[in-house]
Amino acid sequence: MKKPGLSSVPDPQAINSQARPRLLQLALRLLWRDWSGGELKLLFVALVMAVTSVTGIALFTDRLERALLLESANMLAADRVLGSREQPPEEILTEAQTRGMRTARTLSFTSMAFSDNGNMLVAAKAVSDSYPLRGEVIITDAPFTRGRPIQSGPPPGEVWLESRALPALGIDVGDVVYVGEAELRLGQIIITEPDRSGGGMIDNAGPRLMLHMADVPATNVVQTGSRVSYRYLFADDDLRVLDDFESWVREQYERQFRIRDVREESEEIAEALDRAESFLLLGSLFAVLLAGVAIALTAKRYSERHFDYVAILKTLGCTSRQITILYLSIQLILAAIAVVVGWLLGWLVHQGILVLLQSIMVVELPTPGIQPYIVGGLTALICLLAFALPPLLALRETPPLRVLRKDISQTSIGDNVPYLFGILGAIVLVLWYSQDLVLTSVLVLSVAGIALLLSVISWALLQSTGSAGMKAGNAWKLAMTAARRRRRQNILQVMVFAITIMSLLILSLLRTDLIDEWQAQLPENTPNHFMMNISAGQIEGIEAFFADNGIEANAFYPLISARVTGINGAEPDPGDEEEDNEGGSLTESVSMEEESAGNVSPGGDGEGGRSRTDGEGEAASAGEQEGEAAPRRLSRRQVTWAEQLPPDNAITAGEWWGDSAEPGYVSIEEEYADWLDLELGDVLEFEVNQQLVTAEVSSFRSVRWDNMQPNFFIIFSPGSIDHLGATFLSTALMESEQKMLLNELIRMFPTIVVIEIDALIEQIQTIIAQVTSAIELISLLVLVCGALVLLACVNASLDERFHENAILRTLGAGRRLILSSLLIEFAVIGLLAGFIATLGAEASLAYLQEEVFEQDFSFHFWVWLAGPLSGMILIALLGVSATRKVVSISPLTVLRRMV
Amino acid sequence: MIQVQNLVKKVDTSEGELTILKGINLDIADGEAVAIVGASGSGKSTLLGLMAGLDAATSGDVLLDGNSLASLDEEQRALLRGQLVGFVFQSFQLLPSLTALENVMLPIELKGDEQARDKARQLLERVGLKDRWHHYPNQLSGGEQQRVAIARAFASEAPILFADEPTGNLDTATGSRIIELLFDLNREFSTTLVLVTHDDRLAQKCGRAVRLVAGEIVSDEKFSDEKAGAQLSA
Repeated sequence: MKKPGLSSVPDPQAINSQARPRLLQLALRLLWRDWSGGELKLLFVALVMAVTSVTGIALFTDRLERALLLESANMLAADRVLGSREQPPEEILTEAQTRGMRTARTLSFTSMAFSDNGNMLVAAKAVSDSYPLRGEVIITDAPFTRGRPIQSGPPPGEVWLESRALPALGIDVGDVVYVGEAELRLGQIIITEPDRSGGGMIDNAGPRLMLHMADVPATNVVQTGSRVSYRYLFADDDLRVLDDFESWVREQYERQFRIRDVREESEEIAEALDRAESFLLLGSLFAVLLAGVAIALTAKRYSERHFDYVAILKTLGCTSRQITILYLSIQLILAAIAVVVGWLLGWLVHQGILVLLQSIMVVELPTPGIQPYIVGGLTALICLLAFALPPLLALRETPPLRVLRKDISQTSIGDNVPYLFGILGAIVLVLWYSQDLVLTSVLVLSVAGIALLLSVISWALLQSTGSAGMKAGNAWKLAMTAARRRRRQNILQVMVFAITIMSLLILSLLRTDLIDEWQAQLPENTPNHFMMNISAGQIEGIEAFFADNGIEANAFYPLISARVTGINGAEPDPGDEEEDNEGGSLTESVSMEEESAGNVSPGGDGEGGRSRTDGEGEAASAGEQEGEAAPRRLSRRQVTWAEQLPPDNAITAGEWWGDSAEPGYVSIEEEYADWLDLELGDVLEFEVNQQLVTAEVSSFRSVRWDNMQPNFFIIFSPGSIDHLGATFLSTALMESEQKMLLNELIRMFPTIVVIEIDALIEQIQTIIAQVTSAIELISLLVLVCGALVLLACVNASLDERFHENAILRTLGAGRRLILSSLLIEFAVIGLLAGFIATLGAEASLAYLQEEVFEQDFSFHFWVWLAGPLSGMILIALLGVSATRKVVSISPLTVLRRMV
Repeated sequence: MIQVQNLVKKVDTSEGELTILKGINLDIADGEAVAIVGASGSGKSTLLGLMAGLDAATSGDVLLDGNSLASLDEEQRALLRGQLVGFVFQSFQLLPSLTALENVMLPIELKGDEQARDKARQLLERVGLKDRWHHYPNQLSGGEQQRVAIARAFASEAPILFADEPTGNLDTATGSRIIELLFDLNREFSTTLVLVTHDDRLAQKCGRAVRLVAGEIVSDEKFSDEKAGAQLSA
């Protein structure tokens, strides 16, 4: 054989490029072998989990947003709506049309409908030709039958009526219906319309009567000052066109007119969706971070196991550059496969969520964009760069001399560099996903807090006993000395366990609290009809009516309109912000009396029309009222008096008057009190029905505004204003099959006003139920990631344990002693981790609930027991089951492998 | 082929600086077989590591085929190792996740040689492992593993072979057979052999034995060809 003569150092470039294909082959071979040997499986699974959770959640939110867009379109019969009490200028419609948008107009008002056989108060809605822009109107030929969809309203000369109006008016399809002065023909029965639940109270005041916009002048019911609701509807497939138009309206009309979408239309739904989105975001963050930690741990172990490989490769002439290419190729190939698998699983996860949410997604969704896949792929890349690459890059620094001397360790890269990379990567990931500096800081701070706490605790614990050695006498001592010997590793292990358990605790507590709150907000039996304008004499009759028909009657609240005119003899001087009546109080908004109110429903010269005016407002009043300049003096409030504290109210200061109530006291809602700068004992002066009343503030209350039940800012003690003439308000739960009873109720008590919110409540309940399912699914995903980290963390210390216990067994230690010592060591680590996790979880939750989820935080006392205990049991079981092999493999095998 | 000039190696320990090699000078000619002998801790493995370019010296230089190692960084040293140096270790140092064949192919592949598989098979056949080429190291006995390691050392066709206690992990009979194989191949390939051992009998099989005590060369003994040859054929 011929010797290659070498007179000069070879050119690295030339050799590198020549050997690259070979390196790739070698990379593939190593990848395959490491895979079969199980070394890479955990790293692979961790990467897959990261990609899966991110892709799945990104796909889901991507489609959710699209679905919401469609859902909102359905709820509004348009993409955007402009609503107002006054007629908005035509110019707005013209502008929209010149921008290529589709437009429609509706006009809602309450009116009496007459037939030759009867009359009835109806919620009339006139629509233009192009209505609805989104969604469909469902109509039918005969009352109480299933309908068919149609994308238009009635033609001129025709009205459509809801089924239950037909028996009340004694008519059939084809008969004549009079609306005001117009004579129209009943063309179809209307089952539902897309914006039925999204409408204001005017739209919920009776059965629907829909007519064509062109017929409105003939009715002669809409005159200056009439209580009507104008709506301009807009639709366009391009979101930017809609947004541009929205800004244009904002610029042109400032606060006079405002364009809204569904989120502003229904606060309850918007809040549920916002919280769900925050939760999903948080869930995916935890999933990715946990997967990241798992990646870091497995990559570190992998690289530690490959130090010898690299040393051998280097003695054979492999340069650091080639080592980098080799291991980078392995990681990239692995990552590429993980990304593809993750995409697939992510797609399945999002399909799973979609199946759960299918009844929200009533419309065929457009396929999701590629964005979520890009996000998933980038996540894998960032995870790899931040968590896996540093330990792998440390490989390239392996000194070749290691083939001769095993004790030679890495020197070039500091031990802490990988952690720094990981922390930096984690922060980048959190920031990228949340786009929220606050959330990022909370997470980073809680993790940093845990790390600090842990260092202190571990330092204290491990300093307390200074002894070294094995102390192999009994399991407890053996375990404790083992824990001390692996101090640095154990601190890291406790930290990883603690962070994992903390993530799981935060998420599950948050999930429970959110779901509990939603369920409490709208329990199964939430009343879905409001009855107002009830006179004292009618209460008994209504109660009897409900009793006869198996409907549960609820409390009757007196209702009277009042305005605060003085505080301790001085003019009230409220805080800077506008008076806050957007609290969502249905009662307040339903019954809110405007300064300008008092008009008579035009054409409604019957009793129903007269009585209706007092109680009328708009369900989503906040937006609709913005058209009018906010008066500086305090607006009127619907107030009540009560002996008992209403449900969902809690006294926050002072005392409720109780059974021995005396007149002359008043209880104020806490935020309203804050706004007016009130203190207990202040004397307030009210103007009630043109009479002045004074009352002393005896308590402040918190009120649950979102429970869709009667709620009041101001409650008087009994006897204070009873004599000033009030009407009463009550609620009832009526199932859809009981709705026909409404006709009878209104016939028996023609002056009362019934507001139907069943459609709205049903919609909210459905959405919340489905969002809950989505949340459960994400929690499961995070749980899997958590388990992965725990497994990776236990595996990380496996090699050393194998070696140590093999020596112990050679020296005569029994399997039982070793197993119990392992059990004790892991249990102690788990207990410590569980305790720290509980601490961290409660601290993070306190912040997250108050600031991000706008919930009230309260301590979860049971968690203080369950956290540490479950940590102990979980880690002990996991640890022992993973290390059981330590005692089942013969010590000789282990020791030979260690040579 | 190998020139060691004033080689010094110092390391930092908790008890201060420790000098392992105290100015070693040594010339090894092309094709020569040299044993470096000495007790544990005498510095022989350190010297081997420095001569093979596995580590950098504190001062002094090693010239491998005229290339000064002191002027090279680790990257260049690695390339030089790939071209000039083969190794046989006491603990075999095979990659456990590669088969015997793949282990032998490795240095050939690293050089970009297309014929890696064929050459590796020939070598495995030559070391008597014709039927075991698809076995993994943990499926082979110690002697078989060392045979694979020897095949790998010659696979790169490097002109210099370093062997660090090649029989240290083997029983006497297996050790003798391995040494026989090593010297046979060394002759076939006309390799320059540097062998670290504390076994004087093995040292005498080489043409020359350099004895180290506490980091210094205390003797440099050349044996006659007859004596070395007699030892080898014995």
